[in-house]
Amino acid sequence: MTVRDVERALRTALSRGGDWAELFWERHETLQLVLDDQRIEDAITGVDQGAGVRVASGDQTVYANGNVTDVDDIMAIAGRAARSVADESGLHEAASLVPDDLPRPHSVAIDPRTVPVERKVALLRLANEVARSHDPRVSQATVSYAESVQEILVANSDGVHRTDTRVRVNFAVHVVAKDGAVLESGFEAVRGTRGFEMLTDDAVRGAAEMAARRAVLNVGAQPAPAGTYTVVLSSEAGGTLIHESVGHGLEADLNLKGLSVYSGRIGQKVASELITVIDDGRDAGQRGTSAMDDEATPTQRTVLIEKGILRTYLSDRKHAEKLGIRRSGNARRESFRHLPICRMTNTMIASGESDPEEIVRSVKAGIFVKKMGGGQVDVVSGNFAFEVTECYRIRDGKVAEPLRGATLVGQGPTLMSEIDMVGSDLGYSTGTCGKDGQGAPVADAQPTLRIPSVVIGGKVQ
Amino acid sequence: MTTRLSNNEVADRALESLRASRVGTAEVFVRDALSGSVETKDDALEVVTVRGERGLGVRVLDGQRIGFAHTSDLAPAGIDACVDQARRMATITEPDDDIRIAAAPLETVDLDIYQPGIEDRPLADRGAIALAVEQAARSVDPRITHFRKTSYSDAEVTTVIATTLGVRASYRESFCGAMTSAVATQDGERQIGYHGEGARRMADLDPESIGARAARRALEKLGAKPFPTQKLPVVLDPWMAMSLLGAISPLFSADNILKGRSLFAGKVGDRVANERVTIVDDARRKGGLRSAPFDGEGVATTTRILIARGVLRGYLVNLKTARKLTSAPMGNARRGSYASPSRIGPSNFYVEAGTDDPAALVRSLDRALAITSLLNLHTINPVSGEFSLGATGTYLEKGAPAYPVQGITIAGNLTHLLSSISGVGTDLTFGSGGIGSPTLVIAELSVGGT
Repeated sequence: MTVRDVERALRTALSRGGDWAELFWERHETLQLVLDDQRIEDAITGVDQGAGVRVASGDQTVYANGNVTDVDDIMAIAGRAARSVADESGLHEAASLVPDDLPRPHSVAIDPRTVPVERKVALLRLANEVARSHDPRVSQATVSYAESVQEILVANSDGVHRTDTRVRVNFAVHVVAKDGAVLESGFEAVRGTRGFEMLTDDAVRGAAEMAARRAVLNVGAQPAPAGTYTVVLSSEAGGTLIHESVGHGLEADLNLKGLSVYSGRIGQKVASELITVIDDGRDAGQRGTSAMDDEATPTQRTVLIEKGILRTYLSDRKHAEKLGIRRSGNARRESFRHLPICRMTNTMIASGESDPEEIVRSVKAGIFVKKMGGGQVDVVSGNFAFEVTECYRIRDGKVAEPLRGATLVGQGPTLMSEIDMVGSDLGYSTGTCGKDGQGAPVADAQPTLRIPSVVIGGKVQ
Repeated sequence: MTTRLSNNEVADRALESLRASRVGTAEVFVRDALSGSVETKDDALEVVTVRGERGLGVRVLDGQRIGFAHTSDLAPAGIDACVDQARRMATITEPDDDIRIAAAPLETVDLDIYQPGIEDRPLADRGAIALAVEQAARSVDPRITHFRKTSYSDAEVTTVIATTLGVRASYRESFCGAMTSAVATQDGERQIGYHGEGARRMADLDPESIGARAARRALEKLGAKPFPTQKLPVVLDPWMAMSLLGAISPLFSADNILKGRSLFAGKVGDRVANERVTIVDDARRKGGLRSAPFDGEGVATTTRILIARGVLRGYLVNLKTARKLTSAPMGNARRGSYASPSRIGPSNFYVEAGTDDPAALVRSLDRALAITSLLNLHTINPVSGEFSLGATGTYLEKGAPAYPVQGITIAGNLTHLLSSISGVGTDLTFGSGGIGSPTLVIAELSVGGT
């Protein structure tokens, strides 16, 4: 597809009215290998190629999309978009395209597609062996390797024409431990917007060891007690807390509708002054990193909350304009099948001053959360919940016996104003964020934190 | 422009290509979907989306090794490349003697899942439905002030399957659905209520009831308070029960059973739920949202009782696990897309209606908590069966609402949940994911709070 072809598609898109048009083209190559129950059970590969054409007229957006094989298919999609536009206000011209390329936040040392499949299979077997030899209670292991190379082109009627290539690897280990009638599982993954260089033997061994350790620990743990407790969240726990309790509430689309608990609060105090929240789409090699977002806006490091004061929201093109804030490069889409929406990339609470060990010592009785799993938030009320996959009792300032099956619930702004100790360390976790039916790869990070009082879900004693 | 092959021509080309490369056994799967959706904002259409999607998935069985590849490039060269990739993938996996490709011929069956022309309607019609949903929500109560999102969508889908062993069949289906998240405001407090429903035919979708239910879901949470930690009976209305039932279905997967990942392993014939509970998986339910004549492997679908009055009767199986368990194939391989191989899963999966009037059931409880929303359903661990979820609810005394609560958790184990179901209503309702349930009363559950 030449630059002229793209210009032709944009002209077609605007041929029946509309103020602005955009073409998003994507070619996504994937390979997935799964070792389960001691066998290489799945080998799956494919190419997904498609395009989406968006036409904006006033407050209305038309989006046509589909799989494409050739340029004619793209023109057909542009035609379908144009036919759905109901705009009698006259025709707009698309500007000539000026192709440019943005600097990449990192380089890929080893393209996973160039690595022989035997090497990938060997890593699956290595993880399987490490997990199974960890403890006799390990009863099952599933190990998966996934590589993904997404090439995109974004062009719009303002003359923008940019491409990006996102190379991602994802190596995941899921372990089941069995003790009598009790089954528990443990999970760990190595993943990022990186090449195969990320998957060293040591990294793979470490993930397998961790997943097995967690499954075995949980199978022998007591059920977590339900109630209100002082909680220390280790930096190793990852950043699900910041993602759910604050991140989603700072998305500009919700704030334009006035629906978030953070709506209309820029410049106001929304958290303890110990709290600074940053979203950084250029954090090298992290899972949520890319050179540009899915509207071709360069990604950037955005300070969202600075020492407790709300500074800005996570925005796309449309909502930045409507809210009169800077575009933050947070327009992301799962694929050409979807319009981009405002969402996080790599989101973190910045490190503070406290010694992490001192934070644990400061708690007489409480809960120490070492690893968090998935979470969810109701952005309107601010109520959130997240899963805890590894946690312990704190007794007299010391980490004591393990607990299983805990959940933390709370309300975002309340929790953020109550955090009273912030550690000098920082730990990352990775995940896939879901919003409006679209998944997006993200990373989250946080230092060790102390929350004086929070509701823990578990068993009533 | 390259000639566009029809869906049947794509399948034929893939079969030819397989024959030419001397592949003995394989399956080809084509899916072609047209869909449209609208979203509204402030009583006007904000987003209109039209989508066309078509692709091919090829599964090759070579020396009892399985390989899978997919493509959206349906030109002859793209199809040939996909076949080559599937063959290459079959050299990576390890052999399993029980893997089979479907060989039994399929009979034609009409399940009332297709309304022709659903994609030919003007955009204005779709917009009108979404706007009617919002209108209905607003008319319930003036405290309904905003909408997080309201949408209507529909689709027409064609599925074609063919195997080198002679299976060849196709079916068409249609979907339409509407959802909204209504926001209720009172004295600076905001609460959201979600509701969505789906149907096979336009006439079966009721925008007014969708909007009204979403509005009530938001209104019932206004004035929510904290709640003390305790154990008490819990009421799940059909919609709340459906979301927990969805988490139970992996326990029935023969793949999980065989690999030691299900608490139901070795339990066929045992009591696993209260005797009031009968659970059915019915892929042949007329007009069901998960109904289909054949499954993702090209095996005829069935109607099955999985739990009969509390006793486990069987597992969900695909061709491979049916052989391993020496059972007959049941057509439980579900296929989400042409781009992924099928996985064992439920179709229209539901708890049969009971004999108790739901209102009388609730009135019989001195104190209870009716759940009004659940957070973090995706974190339920199907292996351990453990769940610990964020929730909101309404505290009930003698069946009458006392006050709404928020910031709470409910926790337990799915197997324990099934055995503590102490009441099953007559009000069986199906949701947009094909899951169905009547009102359920759980005798006692751990509720975490202040």
